[in-house]
Amino acid sequence: MLRRLEQPFSPVIRIAGLLILSLAAAGCAGMDRAPQAEPTRIEAKQDRAPAPEPEPQQPEAKPEQPVAAKPVQVASKPDAPAVVQPAPKPDAPAVVQPVPPPAAAPAPPSAAPNNQVAAKPEAPAAKPAAKAAASPAPKKEVAAPPAPKPAAPTLDLAALEKRLKETSAIGVFTKLTLKNQVDALLDQFRGFYQGRIKTTLTQLRQPYDQLLMKVLSLLQDSDPPLAREITQSREAIWGILSDPDKFKNL
Amino acid sequence: MSKRMNGWTLAAALSAFLSGPSLAADALAKDLTSTIALLGLPCGQVVSAQRLKDNDYIATCSDKNRYRVFVNPEGRVVATKQ
Repeated sequence: MLRRLEQPFSPVIRIAGLLILSLAAAGCAGMDRAPQAEPTRIEAKQDRAPAPEPEPQQPEAKPEQPVAAKPVQVASKPDAPAVVQPAPKPDAPAVVQPVPPPAAAPAPPSAAPNNQVAAKPEAPAAKPAAKAAASPAPKKEVAAPPAPKPAAPTLDLAALEKRLKETSAIGVFTKLTLKNQVDALLDQFRGFYQGRIKTTLTQLRQPYDQLLMKVLSLLQDSDPPLAREITQSREAIWGILSDPDKFKNL
Repeated sequence: MSKRMNGWTLAAALSAFLSGPSLAADALAKDLTSTIALLGLPCGQVVSAQRLKDNDYIATCSDKNRYRVFVNPEGRVVATKQ
């Protein structure tokens, strides 16, 4: 019975035995290379350690993916490439992450939500940038004051007075009337600075503006250049009138 | 030809002679109008002015007001309603 049984099953048993042996050999081969992959993980973690820690989730997720992919790589290629390939992946982000912050420094709000660690280097980088931006600003402010300087040459009271006297745009009576009104306004300022008149500079500004409007309305059609000069000197003249020291020297 | 030139010259001289006073009158009327307006008096425009003496005029306004405009001894311009 045993012979009968062994004879028909013998080829099946042989094939099964060969299959078991081949599977066992393949399993042993896989067992030999699997431990080699584990050190790569350790190396990768060691490489990541000096790198910024705040993103441990990414390295952990990546090793899991390589675990599924490794057997294919291991089976197809030798050990050396298997070690090298996972290593650059963790290193690459470690190197790349510090690089983007300087590049993203001009636009910190967009980069900040992505990496908190990257935001920290950005802050110091942004401060010098802000200082650098702030330093030229004073230069601009310094450069701005020269602009009013040209207004100073326009204010030549003696020349203006002479031109008003000589212009043919205003008649004699009108000139006399204007002169009287200018004198009256100067008396008001004098009284204000001497304390004889209780008023404010703001209140004195109104008659000053009205008088200038009268002069300009008389000149604008017949002597536009003089009207323009007076308009340009308006604030400069007020600057003299509203300054007690300058007014004394008037 | 010379007679025609003489005619044109005479016409130009006459027009200049006649228009001169009118230009001066216009300038005076404008001056008085500005003065009265600066003094804050109602007038509109001065349509005619009668000279009383130096720096002393009677101005008739378009709104029928009449003012004596003169320079007082203190050197101030004054307008008094007539």
